[in-house]
Amino acid sequence: MSKEECKYKDQQLLMYLLSAAELYQPNSLTGHHLILYSQDGENKEYWILHKNVDSVEKRYSQDRNALIFKCKNFKKYQLTIPSFEDANNICSSVEALSCLGKPSLQYPYFYRPTFKFEEDGFDLFHVEHEFTDLCKKSDQWRISSINLHFKACKSYPSQVIVPKLIDDRAIEKSAEFRQDGRFPILSYYHTNGRVVMRCGQPMTGTSNKRCKEDEKMINIILGPAHRGYILDTRTSQSATNARSKGGGFETEFNYPQWRKIHHGLQKHKVQQESLIRLVEACHDQSTNSEKWQSKLESSNWLSLVKETLSAACLVAQCVDKEGASVLVHGSHGVDCTLQVTALTQVLLDPLCRTMRGFLCLIDREWIKAGHPFASRCFHSALSNQKTQMEGPSFTVFLDCVFQLQQQFPLAFEFNSRFLCELSRHAYASQFGTFLCNSEMERRQHKVQTKTVSLWSYFLSEEVLPLHLNIIYESCNGVIWPSVAPHSLYLWDG
Amino acid sequence: MIERIELKIMDSSKNGQEVPKNEIVETNVSNAARSDMVPVIPGEQVCIALLKDVTYLCPYMGAISGQLIITNYKLYFCKPSTPEKETIFVVEVPLCTISRVEKVGGATTASRATDGRNPYGLEVGCKDMRVLRFVMRQENRQRRMVYEKLQELCFPVSNKMPFFAYIYKEEYPEEANGWMMYSAKAEYHRQGLPVEGWRFTKANSKYELCDTYPQLLVVPSPASDDDLKQVSQFRSRSRIPVLSWIHPESQATITRCSQPLVGIGNKRSRDDERYVHLILEANPHAHKLLIFDARPQANAVANVARGGGYEKSEAYTTSELIFCDVHNIHVMRESLRKLQDTCFAQNPNEDKHWLSNLEQTQWLHHTKVILAAATRIADRVESGKSSVLVHCSDGWDRTAQLTSLSMIMLDSYYRTLQGFIVLIEKEWLSFGHKFQQRIGHGDKNHSDSERSPVFLQFIDCVWQMTQQFPTAFEFNEYLLILILEHLYSCLFGTFLYNCDRERRKEEVKKRTKSLWSLVHTREDDYLNALYVSAYQNHVLLPVPAVRHLDFWSNNYARWNPKMKSQEPIQERHKELLKIRDHLRKKVEDLERQLAAKQLSPSSGPKLTVHADAEPLAV
Repeated sequence: MSKEECKYKDQQLLMYLLSAAELYQPNSLTGHHLILYSQDGENKEYWILHKNVDSVEKRYSQDRNALIFKCKNFKKYQLTIPSFEDANNICSSVEALSCLGKPSLQYPYFYRPTFKFEEDGFDLFHVEHEFTDLCKKSDQWRISSINLHFKACKSYPSQVIVPKLIDDRAIEKSAEFRQDGRFPILSYYHTNGRVVMRCGQPMTGTSNKRCKEDEKMINIILGPAHRGYILDTRTSQSATNARSKGGGFETEFNYPQWRKIHHGLQKHKVQQESLIRLVEACHDQSTNSEKWQSKLESSNWLSLVKETLSAACLVAQCVDKEGASVLVHGSHGVDCTLQVTALTQVLLDPLCRTMRGFLCLIDREWIKAGHPFASRCFHSALSNQKTQMEGPSFTVFLDCVFQLQQQFPLAFEFNSRFLCELSRHAYASQFGTFLCNSEMERRQHKVQTKTVSLWSYFLSEEVLPLHLNIIYESCNGVIWPSVAPHSLYLWDG
Repeated sequence: MIERIELKIMDSSKNGQEVPKNEIVETNVSNAARSDMVPVIPGEQVCIALLKDVTYLCPYMGAISGQLIITNYKLYFCKPSTPEKETIFVVEVPLCTISRVEKVGGATTASRATDGRNPYGLEVGCKDMRVLRFVMRQENRQRRMVYEKLQELCFPVSNKMPFFAYIYKEEYPEEANGWMMYSAKAEYHRQGLPVEGWRFTKANSKYELCDTYPQLLVVPSPASDDDLKQVSQFRSRSRIPVLSWIHPESQATITRCSQPLVGIGNKRSRDDERYVHLILEANPHAHKLLIFDARPQANAVANVARGGGYEKSEAYTTSELIFCDVHNIHVMRESLRKLQDTCFAQNPNEDKHWLSNLEQTQWLHHTKVILAAATRIADRVESGKSSVLVHCSDGWDRTAQLTSLSMIMLDSYYRTLQGFIVLIEKEWLSFGHKFQQRIGHGDKNHSDSERSPVFLQFIDCVWQMTQQFPTAFEFNEYLLILILEHLYSCLFGTFLYNCDRERRKEEVKKRTKSLWSLVHTREDDYLNALYVSAYQNHVLLPVPAVRHLDFWSNNYARWNPKMKSQEPIQERHKELLKIRDHLRKKVEDLERQLAAKQLSPSSGPKLTVHADAEPLAV
């Protein structure tokens, strides 16, 4: 459903609620949901997950008290409540319940599935499976358990794939040299033997520190003859600036086989602001339609999408056309880096364009890779809070995939509705998949044993057909999208 | 004049493939080699072939050198495949699509100095928004030769030459003859006519009532042919209100006409007033006739000074007048020109401002206004059961847009391939949208203020609807693009001339082929695989808001090679269509088998019932 449609629908609903407020008894407040139901015999019920509520706006006047619940999926619900006290109570409890910090209090821990599923989504994708596939193509890699207790890197999973010739001691050193211990690991192995790796920025600082082990590790990927590219998702200016804070970038002197490319992508904070402006524009009914396009443009959202897509195209081009391996990083390597590496795989690997492959990709490149979903999706665009850690990195990624779907209507096994669902669940869900910020936290909170996986839901027999693209035709090639502005449409998810 | 042209055609056909001598200006090759260089269609002949020293400045891929060939139908530039590079690069424009040819660069020493930026050659502006630049060598006067040939062939009307449509010799099977697809009578019968309140009239069978209307008209029954004549004197260009569409159940109607000739003297016509009232009375459900004036109110008022005007409430007491704010042909032309500039902007920095530039063209805004008005009409007819009368100034531009769009919304027949063709034939061609003037077929004067993209805008609106209702239309985007291509190409007689009378006079049906013949023979290409007939009884009301409208990049930007779909979407759709047909056939077979089973061993089930019943009885 499109954002606008949502809005129209809400408007309808809103008017309905306004006119028939007394019919609705909105006061059913459970621990996790706000439930609205009508009493006039129509079996209409609306369940709003507290976690989905971004903010509550109070509009009290003499004759009626209105509460507007603004949700993270950009919907708005307005309720009129006769009693002032009731309204206040509802408001404060929803506000409190919507920002529970502790994962174990959240709904996924209480949710019991009502659908049948054969596979447990938490067990679907394992680094071992991936590694066995990889072994068929190349013997240059191994699984390292160096991060078994999350000592080397708090945001990495316990097992990662690294070059075979590098031992764990060297990795340890490399981890010390990289931001947050995010040492270079394998992200994607292309059919031509070239790879995409990702990591955090090197901590060179102003004194130009270097780390022999890190250099060796990166160079060994290439072998003696090949060249490689390092894609820095920051502009060269901001990469230089990062040195004063202890960060930095690889110098050509220390990494002679690598060439640097700077492709400036916006930080999560800027992306969040852009999203806020976009949603504002979408919700703004007052302006006449003539201003719509300039509003859309000034939200800058589409240029975010465009830049992200072209960065991914760049990497795909290096790998597929030039036969060069690519190392991607920004500063922390948990936002733009993942957007680029994940999107590159969607472009290059037809498997990632199947339902299962795409889920696997998200599992690997986003969830296990340590994208801090809990912080990034704590608030969405309709919150009153000032944004700090929030950012729609994942939404931008999904939007890019949507754009690809528009340009390649046959290439994807799943439809755009599926992308909407993913985006919704990332912000508020009954499933545990997107809980916490990293594998380590998820283990601490026993997410796997105490909650249900979203993947189980998506792959269950009832749900799977809803999200399939009816005109899908598997295509084995690489897809090269157009990044011209007139080929980008607003994703109305 | 016409006889002379015919003679000429006879001449060239007598000679067969050989072109009369005076026709050949200069060629670098012998006749035999020509047919290999360029794919020709029946009747097409090569006039000029330049095999070297021509460079095409592609706005997307830079300079490409190759061969330029001009036939009597098209301009054809190609870079032939070489052993190293297999892909052939081709640019093809039907000559009638060309709106202007200009010599550029190199004329003076001053411009020679800036050679790099303004090289010596030709610029060819096309009606489909392309601008082609060719660079030629200055020495051998090639340019002058090409220029003169293009001036001669691109503008047959200005040069008193026949359109290529008359020379085109393709044979289409008789059962696919596009000229047979539309019959006014059959279409009115389909709508359920004759009904009480409306009658067919032959008053215009010799085009004496109104020369831009078709021969067969449907008017309110109580109005006699003499009444019609009286009414015609009060309507601009005699375009009296006539029936376009009637609701099968409520009998609510869509009627169309031109503005009343009120003028500054505030004239009234009792006949016209009575006639308009009759339209209302033919609808048993309505108490008021809604008159949709497509113009902005200010324009309608301004027209009073020019003798036109609008229905004033004191004269037309049983009607309600609504202005729709659709701007005139000049505003639309200007908007499209801006859109063209925006689409083909060379400066990459403009990419950042794509959306605001697009906004400034106002194209989507105009599209919105038209869709909004049509939606309003459809809504009033459907849910209000009201009859509506639509007009603008002359009733052949904006009126056609509004009536045809609202008919698409109201009647699912017009969303089928056949119905859509009927709609275009009826609302646009037979009711005299001035294609000749609006497009300027074969006319030299490219800055003619009568030209305007009215029909293109209508097609754009239809496309917007197909975007909002992807499964409700039987045809696909390719049909719309094909129609636009041949709107300009003059390959078919379909869009030639201004009205029914002119086309009949020129015997277009006899002497040319119809575009619909082509559509018919390649129907599979133009069917929408996602079409479901479940929408049959639905009235579609699109959301007329700019945020729901998209820029039709597959049409406007289709010349950009980067916009080409990299997937075989068309083939996939055809496959799906095949699967659908296969399944449909299976269902039919099974149903037939089922029916047969129920019929033939009818004694079987009866027996068992009997057998069951008997023990009970015992």
